[in-house]
Amino acid sequence: MIIISPYAKKLICGKENPKNYAYWKELIALIDEPIIQVGVEGEEQLVDDFRKNLPISELRKLLKECRIWIGCDSFFQHLAWDEGKQGIALWSVSDPLIFGHAENINLLGSRDNLVKNQFLWWENVEHKSEFFVSPEMVLERLY
Amino acid sequence: MSKVLCSVATRGRYFTTLPLVLNAIINQTKPVDKLVIFDDNDEPKDMRTEMIYSYFFKMMDIKGIAWEWLYAGKKGQHHIHQMANSMGYEWVWRVDDDAIPEPNVLENLYKHIDPSVGAVGGSILTPPYIPSTIASTGFIDKIDSEPNIQWGIIEKPRYIEHLHCSFLYRAGIHDFNLGLSRVAHREETLFTYGLYQKFYYILAVPDAITWHMKNPEGGIRSETKEEMYHHDEQIFRNVLSFRDKNIVVLNCGLGDHIVFSKILPSIKNPVVFSCYPEVVPGKSIAEAQHLFGDIDQWNIYKKMDQWKWTDSLENAYRKLYL
Repeated sequence: MIIISPYAKKLICGKENPKNYAYWKELIALIDEPIIQVGVEGEEQLVDDFRKNLPISELRKLLKECRIWIGCDSFFQHLAWDEGKQGIALWSVSDPLIFGHAENINLLGSRDNLVKNQFLWWENVEHKSEFFVSPEMVLERLY
Repeated sequence: MSKVLCSVATRGRYFTTLPLVLNAIINQTKPVDKLVIFDDNDEPKDMRTEMIYSYFFKMMDIKGIAWEWLYAGKKGQHHIHQMANSMGYEWVWRVDDDAIPEPNVLENLYKHIDPSVGAVGGSILTPPYIPSTIASTGFIDKIDSEPNIQWGIIEKPRYIEHLHCSFLYRAGIHDFNLGLSRVAHREETLFTYGLYQKFYYILAVPDAITWHMKNPEGGIRSETKEEMYHHDEQIFRNVLSFRDKNIVVLNCGLGDHIVFSKILPSIKNPVVFSCYPEVVPGKSIAEAQHLFGDIDQWNIYKKMDQWKWTDSLENAYRKLYL
């Protein structure tokens, strides 16, 4: 079983968080394995099994049970790291060398796309699909 | 050789003590690398049109001293000093606008700096009364019971815990408490004691006399509202009451709390204030704000920005707390 944690925290301005991976649907279509989506109420459901608003203890249990997880730069990648479960983190504008963990597979489109100041709000940063790696590249690292 | 920025915050003293102070700074035996005058007057003037000031500016150009006249935000001198603290210089010499240093002050303060030193101050004398401070310790827990060591002649270098008025400090290490009111009561004591708490030596040294005129007119603290002093004093007392603890304020995201939790076991005597007590148990952020006024000094994102950080978030927490 694979856990996906597709979305970073919603922005106050209502725009899409630039850290949200752009090709979830395409990636899910390529995966031939049970998938559980975790997240919070209000996020788009991408698979049949969507578990919303789970307490941290439940997320930790799920992490123990899964083969691997896939997520973006959100709290989930930190939780999985804390739990000692390796996964694939998908990056666009934030820097995996600062916010990522070397224990994970960190897939970044290009370091040229990183925002200059990594420590401000993400509200003013545009979401750009082309900043992410393709679903095929994710799949290569998944199996 | 480390570069020294000299900062002067001024208000209401264009034509009284400020010219004396600028003249004293210009004529230091060790010249400053840059002088910044933060003009906090309610109605600031273009001082280039004043003859005496045009001569000062000319003299600085002749002597190769870079200078800048900045119009400040009238929020109190702690905001001004924090600007100076973050201007990228390794050392800042802060001089009050009614404190006139002898020509050798910067040279003799500078002699004492080394990698272990956080701040160095000399005597700050207010004639006619100059008390003997030989018996003063300069320790923070004696602040209510002894005269400040800087009020008298300092005969030999002394390791102390706090300074006031005018001193040379290592910049970019500790922040001025921006939670203080406009009067910024105790701001320099809190600041230098903060450097001490970060394991830097604070020194009171001889042969560095500054004459503090305590000009009754003007001044950056020309605010009389008693409640402001009371507010600032309360913050000062709260900081003192936690002085044997390592204060941790996690005003950040859930993931940041998880990363921080890895280093918590290495922190001695922590008192934690947390947004997500289910991840890192602690008191509320509102309580931290109430106790310490300004909690930005623990803002890990602000710190990483300030440090131009390129290493991991976990190591940033290590730098902040260990």
